[in-house]
Amino acid sequence: MIYVDGVTKEFKKVVKDSGLKGSVKSLFNRKYNIVKAVNDISFHVPKGEILGFIGANGAGKSTTIKMLTGILTPTEGRIEINGQIPFKNRKKYVKEIGVVFGQRTQLWWDLPLVETFSVLKQVYQVEDKAFNERMAFLNEVLELNDFIKSPVRTLSLGQRMRADLAASMIHNPKVLFLDEPTIGLDVAVKNNIRKAITEINEQEKTTIILTTHDLNDIESLCKRIVMIDKGKLVYDGSLTEMKTQFGKYREVNMSLFSNEDFDKLNFVSEFKVNDEDIKINRSKEKITVTFNSEKISISNMLSYILKNVQVKDISVNDVNIEEIICRMYGKEVSD
Amino acid sequence: MKKISDFINLYKPFTKAGIQSAMAYRTSFLCFALGQSIYCFVMYFIWKAVFMSSGESTFMEFTMADMTVYVFLSNLVGFLTNSDSTDNLADEIHDGSIIMRMIKPVNVDYSILTFEVGNKVMIITCIFLPVMIGVEIYRYAVLGYVAFSIVNFLIFVVSVVLSYLLSFYLNLIFGYLAFFLLNIWGFSILKGSIISFFSGALIPLAFFPGIVRTIFEQLPFASIIYVPTMIYMGKYSALELVFVLSKQLFWLVVFVVISRMIWGWAQKRLAVQGG
Repeated sequence: MIYVDGVTKEFKKVVKDSGLKGSVKSLFNRKYNIVKAVNDISFHVPKGEILGFIGANGAGKSTTIKMLTGILTPTEGRIEINGQIPFKNRKKYVKEIGVVFGQRTQLWWDLPLVETFSVLKQVYQVEDKAFNERMAFLNEVLELNDFIKSPVRTLSLGQRMRADLAASMIHNPKVLFLDEPTIGLDVAVKNNIRKAITEINEQEKTTIILTTHDLNDIESLCKRIVMIDKGKLVYDGSLTEMKTQFGKYREVNMSLFSNEDFDKLNFVSEFKVNDEDIKINRSKEKITVTFNSEKISISNMLSYILKNVQVKDISVNDVNIEEIICRMYGKEVSD
Repeated sequence: MKKISDFINLYKPFTKAGIQSAMAYRTSFLCFALGQSIYCFVMYFIWKAVFMSSGESTFMEFTMADMTVYVFLSNLVGFLTNSDSTDNLADEIHDGSIIMRMIKPVNVDYSILTFEVGNKVMIITCIFLPVMIGVEIYRYAVLGYVAFSIVNFLIFVVSVVLSYLLSFYLNLIFGYLAFFLLNIWGFSILKGSIISFFSGALIPLAFFPGIVRTIFEQLPFASIIYVPTMIYMGKYSALELVFVLSKQLFWLVVFVVISRMIWGWAQKRLAVQGG
């Protein structure tokens, strides 16, 4: 369905010295730096899968999505989606895909929402019958009826995002690209949107590529994730595999009667482990100790703490996927 | 024929949306019309003062009546052929929202053009037709006979359509400059002054001395306002008409080709701003 093979995208960036003097200098004598925003990425997505595409800000996610949607031309490598090469025949290609860029809107700002849908109906040349069925379905899952007659500029962010999602699917696309579709939304709307995405995926077997910073999106929608960092692909596999591979960490959260007490503890010498196996995060209210549960058993950890300091409250948690990703960005993969 | 009807079906909703968008801001539209009328009358009084102080009834083959018609008509043609595509496109390039056009199965330039045509429909019905009727009444009152000719008017319509398209693509080319300059505010001002001076919007090109006038008339800017206005006023012979219309067509083709080349080039090297 989606084949990405050795794709690289280079940008020329103007190098500018700081300050006004630098600006003036760069007017006359421009120096360029070649930046590899995406560096030799390959992956494959079968039909009907929801792929979570994650990475830190500036990792190259958006650039990749823009290449997949035919907006940017890759410097090197090959992309094939639905048997087509996105940038080659853009107008033909985009008929079969739907795109949501969470930070932008494809709705007509000054017109009632319903007008946007009728414009899209004609642009994609959707038959009346198919259009009505589709609208009924989208109305049901995204609850558009309450605001379908309001001008788009008066919609709330949550309403707008639901409308944008609907607008990207009016023509029943085979592939859906969702770039941060839940950005800035409250939990209720996020749930609503996740439900809609799941339903669409199940009913239409739509292949979906989803980028997000909200890891709950990933946990509830994607079985498989691809992670990129600094333009390079650093992980491609299932979510559960990632959790077992990197999820050996546990964290102990505690609050103490006196925080100075904590200085008495020395985990590294007590358990004879390396610095990487233990991480301490202190704030006024609570102290978090993240540790490798393969090297230090949970009971040893707890008894050591309880023996040496006076604890007001203590709990042991699984490390959430956010923490795993931070760890991957931070050390284990980039090295 | 099939191609044309496909084209109309595909872009009709853009024109419709353009009309609706223009109607969404009625007050702004009214203020625009009012401001432009004040400007027309100021121009009229300035020229009247020029004519009265010269002490002659005609100036470079223009009577005061001609001048009045010229002032109002050149402004009308100015509304009809003016295009905001430079600023619209440059804004979209500047904030990166042009990608929202690129994910639709439409041409970027056609979708901007057909949307703007929707605005023009509003201008034609709300400004052009009333003012044109006013101009005709004025001509009848001054000349004592009906100067309006339907053939002449049809040629004028063709010429205005050509000049609008010409102006649209010229403006679009300036808009594409945003790919390279990122901020085109200065260029946009420069372009505005160039067009209003060389197109005859401020001073009829006929008033310039010999060689300067000949040069100005060959430039594309003359085709935007001066040519349609002079056609309406019946200042051209049949042979001259063929010549000026083909000149408009020539410049239109040149600008379409240039804008397509820039777009093709930009698409390969495009770096979308933001997110």
